[in-house]
Parts: sequence; C-alpha cells; structure tokens
Amino acid sequence: MIKPFWTKWSFLFKLRFIFGVILLIFLLLFLYLKIVPFGQISYSRDYSSAWRSSKGFISGFTPAERVDLETSEVPAIIGDPVYFSVFTPRTFDQAKMTIVYRDNLTIDLPIIEAGVLVDNIVWRYDLKPVDNKALDYLMLRWDKLEENGLLFLQKEKNYSSLADWEKDLAKGKIKDCSNVSTNCLAVYNYTPPYKYQIANYQPLLPLTIDQPLRGAHQFYLYLKDEPLHLDFSFIDQNLDLKPAPIKIILSSENGIIDTQIIDDPNLNPGSGQMEEKKVTIDKRNLSAGIYKVEVKITDDMIIKKISSSIGRLSFIHKIWPVSGQGNLKVYTDSNYLQVKALSPASLQTISFGGNKFSLTEAYRQFDFYSEDGGLIKEIKIAQDDLILENNGVFALSPNALINPSLMKVDRFFSVKMPVKYIVAEYQKPKEVNGFKVATVEFDLKNAYREKGKYNFMIAVPGLKADDKLNDNLEIYKINIEFEGRTLWQKIWQ
Amino acid sequence: MAKNLAIISREVFYFFTALIVLSIGLEIIWPNIILAYVNLNYIIVLWLISGLISLINK
Repeated sequence: MIKPFWTKWSFLFKLRFIFGVILLIFLLLFLYLKIVPFGQISYSRDYSSAWRSSKGFISGFTPAERVDLETSEVPAIIGDPVYFSVFTPRTFDQAKMTIVYRDNLTIDLPIIEAGVLVDNIVWRYDLKPVDNKALDYLMLRWDKLEENGLLFLQKEKNYSSLADWEKDLAKGKIKDCSNVSTNCLAVYNYTPPYKYQIANYQPLLPLTIDQPLRGAHQFYLYLKDEPLHLDFSFIDQNLDLKPAPIKIILSSENGIIDTQIIDDPNLNPGSGQMEEKKVTIDKRNLSAGIYKVEVKITDDMIIKKISSSIGRLSFIHKIWPVSGQGNLKVYTDSNYLQVKALSPASLQTISFGGNKFSLTEAYRQFDFYSEDGGLIKEIKIAQDDLILENNGVFALSPNALINPSLMKVDRFFSVKMPVKYIVAEYQKPKEVNGFKVATVEFDLKNAYREKGKYNFMIAVPGLKADDKLNDNLEIYKINIEFEGRTLWQKIWQ
Repeated sequence: MAKNLAIISREVFYFFTALIVLSIGLEIIWPNIILAYVNLNYIIVLWLISGLISLINK
C-alpha cells in the first residue's frame, strides 16, 4: 500500500519527508520531556566525568569559596553550607536524591545533611540526614531496633518495641529516666509524641522587648490558663528595592493557629524613608503548652518592639540585635555560640559564659565554646549589630528562657552524655567500592521554586573553608528522581 | 550522483536551519528545555559545516 506512494515520490520529496519526520520526532521528544506525562523523571550529574554535552539540570556548587575544584577530579566541599539548584521543566511532588561521595572529614564533623529550600524569606531549608557518624557509632554498640522506618537505640535494653516506649513517653514516664526533657532522650530527624510542660508553673509579668531586632526571628512562648496578646511594631527601612511583606505565624504542636500577613505596596523602594507598621495577635482560651511564633520579614525590616502578655519568650537559634547602642545582655542555654559582626564598628571582645572572645573581622563567622557548666550562659555585648546563632535559644532575661526542644544528635552531641534512648529517622549510607551512597527523600509540595529551579543545600555543620585543615567532602555523583502528578491526573483532577 | 549529493547537502543544511529555528523557538517559549539536554553550539557548528559543504557541491 505504502510502496506505490514511495516509488511515485521524487528523491527531493523523500528526503524532505525523512527530515520532516526527524524534526517532528525532535519536537515531540522535547514536548514529552517538558510535560513528563507519566510524572516521573530522573536527572543526574556525574562530577567525575569531564565531558558535558549540555548545560544539564543540576547546577554547580556555590559559593565558589566553599568548593575546591582544583585539588581533586571532583568538587570537594570545604566550607558549610554549599548550594546548588536543579532545573525541572515542571513541578513535582517528591524528590529522591542519591549522593555518591567520599568523606574526608575529621571526627568533630559527624553530620552531613541535604535540604531543599522551602521558605525564601527566612531561607529555611527542609534538612534531611545524609550521614550521622554518632548514630553509626551507637548503632554498633547500643541495643538497636528498627520500626516503621525509625531507628530506636537503647543504652540498656528496657523496651522490646518502640511503640511501648512511645506509650510511656506520652505518659511522661520512661524506664530508667528521671527527667525526659533534660538529658535522658535524644532525637534526630524525628519529633516524638511528647508534650513539654513546666512543673509548678507560675506566670511571669508581661514582657516588653524594646531592643530592635533585624530580620526574621522565631520564638517560643509558654503559657497556661492565660490569654495571649502580642503587639509587634516594625520599621521598614526601604534601603533596598524589594517589597517587605510581614508574615507572622502562630503555631502549636497541633499546627498553625493564626497567620497575619501585611503586604507591602512598596511605594518608596530604595528611598531610605522609614515606614512604621504594627501587627497584633490576640488569642484566648489556648491550652497550656508551648507555642511558636514565626516572624517572617526581610533583612530590610526591623522589629522595633514586641509587647507580650506572656513573660516566657525565647528566640529560637538566632537573634540579631541592632540598635547602634551598647552594653546588651543576652542569655542562652547552649555552650556554643556563632557570632558574625555586620559592621567594623561592631568588632569587639564579647563575654560568653564568663569567657572572653574577640571578634576581629567583620562579615566572618566566629565559633565560641564556653566552659561554663551552668544551664544558662550570659552573653555580654559592648556594641550590637551582631548575628548570634546556636543550637539552643536566646532570651533578653534569664527568667524568660525556655527550650522545649529535646536534645538532638547533632554535632555537639557526645556519646559521653547521659542519654539513654535515641530515636531517629535515619538510614546509614551504604558503602559501594570505597564510596558512600546515601539516599534522601524530600517533599516538594511546599518547596520554593523560582525560574523553574528547586534550590538544594548540602550541609556539613562546622566545616570551615578558612581553617587551613585538609578536611572536605568529595561529591562524585548526584542523581535526583522526581515524582509528581501524571498528565491524566493534571487534566482530570 | 553528483546532482543527488548536491541536493542532499542542501537539504541537510535546510534541516539544520529548521532544527536551530525550532530549538530557539522552544527555548523562547520554555527556557532551558533544549539547553539542558543539548548544547546548541554543536548544532550551529554542524549547520555551518553543512552550509559550507552545500556551497562546495553547488
């Protein structure tokens, strides 16, 4: 049937027909790759191969000063954290990242994590474990149980199942443990069914924080049979050109309770003209417990004042006081402190837990460790405009300090600590031909995507590019399998 | 035979022209969709070579 047509066609027509079909296949192939009709696609980058026939999907690592491209045939991460983006032609719901790496890290860098950007205002990454050497070590020495993807480690075998232990935890009484919240239990990448309570709670007087704070902050509040009233006063400095919206989220362990959003019409971008904005949160009949408030603003905004009806208020992991005034006292529950001075005028000697530490360079992050054995450490600052960060909480008065978080198996964790139980959602990386292979899964439904790219991070907490040590993490290959809705689900749902 | 070769080289040149136009069009509509897979520079080099061969065979 086809043959008579084919023989009748001229040579030129046949040639054009063949090339036309090739062009059509090319077009259909790229439409297929754009739409991904079956909802599944995988992108990879082999860093050991020098040949690249295209731009690829997975970008290089940034910032450049944290990556060594010269010494090894593959990029070696020498500073924490590094970022890379992945271009996808459409959105997906889930990603499964497989990293092939070789770890040349010192013993004091036990953690490797990977994350996807979920909030571009506060630059929050949803971090997942890649490698945790403290857990790897304890898995060989402690009693180990694995249930429903969770790892349960016991120093001495008191429970035969994780479910039994969780039942006891919900009651607030665990075998061989006098106080759950302080030193008996450590977690990693897991939130146990545990409700933080302060025994013999006495309300404190209302609190007013009139120390200006720059940028996004989040804090814990603890209340019992009290109304919650929070008044925020913000200053939009209008020093940059971007809009400065305000988003305040009040949440408890059961989820979000209230969200307040103030959009910024951005009428005076870059003018330096200050605008004052106010937000109030008023809630009654809240049950006793811990509440979290997230203040999401850009670094062009300042929290001028917070008036709280609740006296126990602690900033989580970070505080950035900026008033230009001096002699500030901040309190923390951690032995560790990261400090970054944001101007040469802020260089100084600070006191942390009774020890003196020198800040000698602006825009460089300094790590300080205090030998103070007390639960609360005082930080004395002669001049502010410093970013203070750690794995604990900060407060402007010692009485206000509360930290409901359980101990984490992070880089400050020591096997010498009096921990008796560890629960973690963690898979030890596999060893294949001298390389480590770790698989991490991400939920992309809430991930931030800009210009067709998801942004990822690889973190080795404590790894520093400028410490002159030869420690690094060599990345050989990254493979990401994306999964999302199929074309038919998109059309019909 | 020589006539056919001239036709083939000319048509190959037309093919690469159409391929480049199509690729650039797709890139304008959906940025990165082609560049992520194919380096257009290679196609442009092939297009130039085919153009030169076509001129020689003319």
